[in-house]
Amino acid sequence: MKPTPALVLFLLAAAAGLLFASVSTYDFVQHLDRQLHGIHCSFIPGLGTLDASGVSGCSVALMSPYSSVLRSFIWGGIPVSLAGMAVFAFLIFRGLDLMAAGQQADPAAALRLLMICLIPVATSIGMGAIAILELEALCKLCVGIYVASFVAAGAALWVWMSARKAAIRAAFEDDDPVEDWQASSPAQSWLLAAVQAAVFVALPLGVYLAVVPDAEGYVGSCGSLSKSDDPYDVLLPLDGNTGGRAMIEVLDPLCPACRGFEQRLEASGLGAQVHRQALLFPLDNSCNWMVSSALHPGACDVSKAVLCAEGRAQEVISWAFEHQDQLRTAAAADPAAPREMVLAAYPELTKCLSSAMANSRLNRSLRWAVANQLPVMMPQIFIDGVKLCDEDTDLGLDFALSRLLGGVAQVQATEAGP
Amino acid sequence: MNNPMRWIFGAACLALPIVLVVSWVAAAKARLAAADPDAEPQVAVAAAADEDYCSADLRKILRRVLQSCGLQSTGEVRGCQPLEARKVATISGADFNALFTPLADRAGIIQFDVASSELDAQDIALLDRLFSDQRGASYFLVVARASPDGSAATNRALSQKRGEAVLSHLRATFDDPDLDKEVGLLWLGEEFAQLDKQFCAWQRSGPADKCSSTQLNRSAFMTWIDCRI
Repeated sequence: MKPTPALVLFLLAAAAGLLFASVSTYDFVQHLDRQLHGIHCSFIPGLGTLDASGVSGCSVALMSPYSSVLRSFIWGGIPVSLAGMAVFAFLIFRGLDLMAAGQQADPAAALRLLMICLIPVATSIGMGAIAILELEALCKLCVGIYVASFVAAGAALWVWMSARKAAIRAAFEDDDPVEDWQASSPAQSWLLAAVQAAVFVALPLGVYLAVVPDAEGYVGSCGSLSKSDDPYDVLLPLDGNTGGRAMIEVLDPLCPACRGFEQRLEASGLGAQVHRQALLFPLDNSCNWMVSSALHPGACDVSKAVLCAEGRAQEVISWAFEHQDQLRTAAAADPAAPREMVLAAYPELTKCLSSAMANSRLNRSLRWAVANQLPVMMPQIFIDGVKLCDEDTDLGLDFALSRLLGGVAQVQATEAGP
Repeated sequence: MNNPMRWIFGAACLALPIVLVVSWVAAAKARLAAADPDAEPQVAVAAAADEDYCSADLRKILRRVLQSCGLQSTGEVRGCQPLEARKVATISGADFNALFTPLADRAGIIQFDVASSELDAQDIALLDRLFSDQRGASYFLVVARASPDGSAATNRALSQKRGEAVLSHLRATFDDPDLDKEVGLLWLGEEFAQLDKQFCAWQRSGPADKCSSTQLNRSAFMTWIDCRI
């Protein structure tokens, strides 16, 4: 019953993985109450200050479309970290089982343990690639899970090599052919492991599906635009769609939450069903009197550039989202830097950007928000004038948007009357 | 799986994530149920500016001027003549001008040539710059004047032309659908609230050395007013 050092290392790594995955799942589940929460982001799970700004790698990962599955089916979807918890719990079980069954020296049993470890390793490689290539964010909790997966796999390899070595030695001593132990892995043992793995993963996910709160009643309950027409000519087309439901996105090109929304909308695949228009609302007091400080310095200049671009507004917004980190970093040192950066990318906008008309048009954009008495927060989304609740713009986007597009917006608009 | 320890390990490891996630979801449900659905959001709502200088007296005068001069009652630019302005303001010319002192950064003075109501390039540059810097202001007040040279009637007509020249330029340049609700015109001729030399330090379109009382009052004073009335 005494575990070998390799098995102890394996169990510790699996326990660490379970801990990291648990903290991540806890952060996700917190949001089911439709309120704002800080997010843990530390290499020491559960410690460190909570990130409420939404800029940490853990926030970016949690709010990304890759943090859960079946998002259209239930609000927020099923967190992949819950599956991670289940897999690490299964690894712990298999390690303890190996010890309890006295199979630490059984190469076949050790090989099964190693093979099972390939599940979190492969998942970690996939999720790590997404984090680096797609999200460009370092999520410390995720890194903890990746490291725990690799260490557990390395420890399982160590367990297997030790068992194999002992078996070979024993085979030579007993003058038995080596193939004896290699062939001693019955199919039912592999089948049993597969069934156990399926139960360990399916049961927590099934229970989660059964207990998660129903968010259906909240969709479309957050008000609507009082003046959705555009007398100021400030709504900018964001796609080439001519049909579909009208979606107005109130955004700031330097707002990370707006960029995150853009990514989630793209990942949801629901963008094709709407005709998107943007209203610029920079959270920068150099043009916006409704904020007392520049939450996003330089956002006024970038917004003016978007307005100046006219038919290419969507291109400039995409550019701003793509270079948002550089723009924000540069603006922190010099609020005029974003202006120089956008003009370096679009020199043809130089004259317009300095013009009185650009100022005036941006001002009209802000006045459109005043006319509709919008809350001063970004992003805000309206489908046919019906507001997508702020709580539904991140984790609940697929769920709420698909329902709004399915008819709630039409019902609300009809009820509101002319 | 005949060792009871293996069953215990299996059950414990399987139960751990289930128990944790069920307890977390239950806590979230309890918070959701406890939340007040009618609670007002804790964020500011977009609104026009209302700066500290908007004193009760300033609001009162502005309300009277704007209502009596057509802006608030009909939503159309009509404008006020000297007698009306004096009557609705119910204050002396000096006190009337003093109302605008806090607006030094938001205001400017277009200086016209003698007997002229034409805007030159400097006038237009100043006008465009000031008008495009609306920020959260609700009203753009244009107070046109004339110097005391000539008859009162002539000067009254001249100051009206100056105010209307400003409005025409704004209408042609900015294509702002709210223009008629925003711009208030007062033409005071030479009869009320002549500018004194303290206004020489304000933004002007005229040369620095042309700021006699006479030159200063061949003008249209204009300012955004960041007050909700």
